[in-house]
Amino acid sequence: MTDRSPSAESGEQALEDPSAPAKNRMAVAVLTLGGIFLAFYLVANNLGWVPRVPCGTGDCGIVQSSKYAWVGPIPVSAIGLGGYLALFVLSLLGLQESMAGSRLIALLLFGGALAGVLYSGYLTYLEAAVIKAWCRYCVASAVLITIVFAATIPEVKRIRGVGAG
Amino acid sequence: MKRFYVVLGIVAVVGAAVVAVALRGGTPVIEPVDLGDITDQELVDLAQGVVYGDPDAPLTIMEFADYQCPSCGYFALSVKPFVDTDYIETGQAKLVFHDFPLDQHPHAFLAARAARCAGDQDRYFEYHDEVFRTQMEWTGLANPAAHFKDLAGDIELDAGAFGRCLDSDMHADVVTANRRLGERLGVGGTPAIFVHDGQALTFVPGFEFAHVQQAMEAAGSGN
Repeated sequence: MTDRSPSAESGEQALEDPSAPAKNRMAVAVLTLGGIFLAFYLVANNLGWVPRVPCGTGDCGIVQSSKYAWVGPIPVSAIGLGGYLALFVLSLLGLQESMAGSRLIALLLFGGALAGVLYSGYLTYLEAAVIKAWCRYCVASAVLITIVFAATIPEVKRIRGVGAG
Repeated sequence: MKRFYVVLGIVAVVGAAVVAVALRGGTPVIEPVDLGDITDQELVDLAQGVVYGDPDAPLTIMEFADYQCPSCGYFALSVKPFVDTDYIETGQAKLVFHDFPLDQHPHAFLAARAARCAGDQDRYFEYHDEVFRTQMEWTGLANPAAHFKDLAGDIELDAGAFGRCLDSDMHADVVTANRRLGERLGVGGTPAIFVHDGQALTFVPGFEFAHVQQAMEAAGSGN
């Protein structure tokens, strides 16, 4: 008789080892924590807590003071901050033993990161084609959310009920 | 898991430290300051305008303006060029620009200080024109400081010196004194133009070029 893990025995819907901490979620937590600080700094700039984002290359001032830096009364950077916070909390929840196998957490992590990378792509397009100025902090955030999204790809397996390490 | 929490802790501490350092930058003064009990003479001495043209020109055109005021922008960009051609460049008059930031314009004081910071690098009127030219771009911003610094970069000012000046209280007393001087002269709105012939100060009842022409002719201008 083949030696099988308890999760495999319970069928395809279960994860191979739901209680094991998922390394991709650890990566998401660390990356989004960095994103929180980055986005918070940009929010502080938008709200005037700091006079200016110092920029050696590109032009953060033009980007940050453009009409695209705000969605109504909300700075775009605040939306990013909210997104990073949500992904950070979800990744920590997903690392808890009791929620390691949650498909909802997996769905929210992957869906949130996908939404983030799509919105970030749109903002990067605006910088390149409409504003014609680059803010290196915004570019850094775009790169960061892309890596976060890549780190959430294993969540697809969890959403589909297939084990992911 | 232990290693993960150690890494997370390191990221948290480093991130918080970097943001704290970044937020600790100077705070720009954006509104009039308390000048204390100063005499009229001290006020006049402090409320220095910025001279454009020959300082020894016989006539003086005094302008009290607010950088966030659209009519001041109109005067600066559409009327002043004719004043330059007919009176400043011919040596008949000099223009002395005085700040008069109005209460209803929240960025006017900072803009006035920004222009004075540019003046520290002998580029006052070049910067003055840029601030007025881009008025619609910054007037609706929550904080136009970044825009003002970008303008300084656009005209190739020393960005570091300009930034340190703007992120401080430099010139706040002078701008405040300028406004108080205007109030003493009865300025109620902007732009307010006066012509001084060395003896009498005459208020110009308007800010179109024709108004300036009439006042200059009355003051004895050759044009």
